[in-house]
Amino acid sequence: MKAEWIGAVAGGMLALCAASAQAQQTVNMPIVIELSGAGAVSGTNFRDGAVIAIDEINAKGGILGRRISAPQSDTQSNPGVSRAQVQKAIDGNPYVILGPVFSGSVKVNMVLAQQAEVPQFTGAEAADITQMGNDYIFRTSFGQQMSMPKIANYIRDRLKAKSVAILWVNNDFGKGGRDTFSKEMAARNIKVIADVSTESGQVDFAADVVKIKGANADAIFVYTNEEESARFLREARKQGVKAPLIGETTLLGQKVIELAGEAANGAKGHVGLTVDAPIPAVQAFRDKFQKRFNYLPDHNGIKGYTAVYAVKHATEKIGSFDRKLLAKTMKGLTIKPEQEPGILMEATWDAKGDIDRISFLAEVVDGKQKIVTILPKLGK
Amino acid sequence: MRMPRNARAIAAAVAVALLVAAPFGLKPYGIYLLSLWAVMTIAAIGLNLTLGYAGQISLAQAAFVGIGAYTAALLTTQGWPLWSAFLLATGLCLVVGWLLGYPALRVQHHYLAFVTLSFATLVFLMLRNEEWLTKGVYGISGIPRPTLLGWSTKAPLDFYFFCLGVLALVSAAAWWLIRSPWGRAFTALRENPIRADSLGVDTRRYTLMAFAIGSALGGIAGVMYAPLVQFIEPTAFALNLSLNLLLMVMVGGSGYFLGPFLGAAVSVLLPEWLRFSEGLYLILYAMFVMILMAFCPSGLLGLAERLRKPSR
Repeated sequence: MKAEWIGAVAGGMLALCAASAQAQQTVNMPIVIELSGAGAVSGTNFRDGAVIAIDEINAKGGILGRRISAPQSDTQSNPGVSRAQVQKAIDGNPYVILGPVFSGSVKVNMVLAQQAEVPQFTGAEAADITQMGNDYIFRTSFGQQMSMPKIANYIRDRLKAKSVAILWVNNDFGKGGRDTFSKEMAARNIKVIADVSTESGQVDFAADVVKIKGANADAIFVYTNEEESARFLREARKQGVKAPLIGETTLLGQKVIELAGEAANGAKGHVGLTVDAPIPAVQAFRDKFQKRFNYLPDHNGIKGYTAVYAVKHATEKIGSFDRKLLAKTMKGLTIKPEQEPGILMEATWDAKGDIDRISFLAEVVDGKQKIVTILPKLGK
Repeated sequence: MRMPRNARAIAAAVAVALLVAAPFGLKPYGIYLLSLWAVMTIAAIGLNLTLGYAGQISLAQAAFVGIGAYTAALLTTQGWPLWSAFLLATGLCLVVGWLLGYPALRVQHHYLAFVTLSFATLVFLMLRNEEWLTKGVYGISGIPRPTLLGWSTKAPLDFYFFCLGVLALVSAAAWWLIRSPWGRAFTALRENPIRADSLGVDTRRYTLMAFAIGSALGGIAGVMYAPLVQFIEPTAFALNLSLNLLLMVMVGGSGYFLGPFLGAAVSVLLPEWLRFSEGLYLILYAMFVMILMAFCPSGLLGLAERLRKPSR
């Protein structure tokens, strides 16, 4: 029994040491991101992209003469853990917070960043994130409310489909996409004849493919996270699905092609961001990334990279490290590659923190993503 | 071998003093972790009653935390006070826990684990799919922190003391329960149900009660969890949390009163502590748990007891 009490006291001591303060002389831009768990692929891409940008900027003397320090913390793809990590980031008096990518995590912690008045640059795409009246949240890629209309138009105009089947992952990302997509389909009089929900981390898609195939729709819209997309593509190929497989970046991304191999061929759809974009700056980024990390980045790599440069540009525009002013400056800001090469493509942020950029219609041909059409910015 | 009564009282006073002093000098991140520790400890105390004392394995504890959290979130976002959520969630979990105890009358050990696992999955699916009630995968945000008799617990420090207060009440109740005839009946149930039966212990009723009370404590932890994180979604209460709670009980020392306190500290604080090792921290954590379980299946307190024995 005595030992039990000694143990309890030791536990108390452990608790005392739980947090540590960190002094800072540089500009603090913590990266709070998915480095383990279901979001590890996306999070690692985002982190590596950001790290490249940070090293480049630091090599040139930093932002306004201050070097960027970017402590990284892993959210384990778990919203509860992400809240703790964002709190830790905020305790370190950050200038901005980079990440996370998973929408559920962002929804937990964006309120904290808002209360602390710290601008947060997220890779999340769920539609509702920028619709909660939070002045401190900024996207680095399209939200679903921007990308779904583009896909819907593609299905109507290019594929001339009259019916679609939807296969989606039942988390807030997938559900949000599926809900937005269904609305866009209804608005275009295209019937949704199969609606198949799948699990995050699901491995076996055989039963789902049987269902989808049986529906015999003109097109199949696939909206799952990268690893699941690859597994689905393999199964669809195995069962000889003939209808076109349509998706977003999470179906056509480099990571998916790498995992699905030959089965990815023929998948098509809309991508907001891609390292295969026919833009020299983007391709140069891709090569730089691949050289350093020895793998091909996906859209999350671009998100991390451009987020850092967006912060740099806006800060230099303000001329000081003022978080509130940064959040204000970002609203309605357009950054062109001529002004800031690191932004790669012209980008505009609106009053809600949504981003507008050109985007692409793409197809996977011979194990490579091929850009078919460049879609202009929505604001043009 | 027990410590003398006054030595135990001193040790308890030191532990309490440490817990009260702990958040001062900590930043909100540290205070948040301590609050999370307190909440998880409550859930683990519940599981320790069911598993550690009564010997009934349960993988459903996360489901009860979920029921509690959703009760609190739904009621408080509608303007109801948190104590109403405490009442409702405790009542609800008592009843559901009691019902879940029935299979335990028929099956034991890993079979029981499977039964409770199915129940946990059922609750998870309900939380996710009954969107009209739970908002499904979108989760519930903006959960307010309570104001008690004019004391607002909005700030991290205040909320920590609120958590600590609830933990103190729960611990006192558990302490009393374990030493009451009920607690002794639980232990008898674990050690030898047939013998307990022959001595006139109503094993049927006590099995159900062990489940009901353990589950109710899970519900109370859930009611605290919702205003702590201020956002809940179903995946937080999936199997992962059940396994984590099971780990807390085992690592701390199943069947020891202080086991859940230590186990929750290991589970909540140790991974954070190991973060200095960056990419390796989860590996180090897993290795620690594996080594501990391999060489000391009775947990940290079991280990402490074993280390003490040779000196006697």
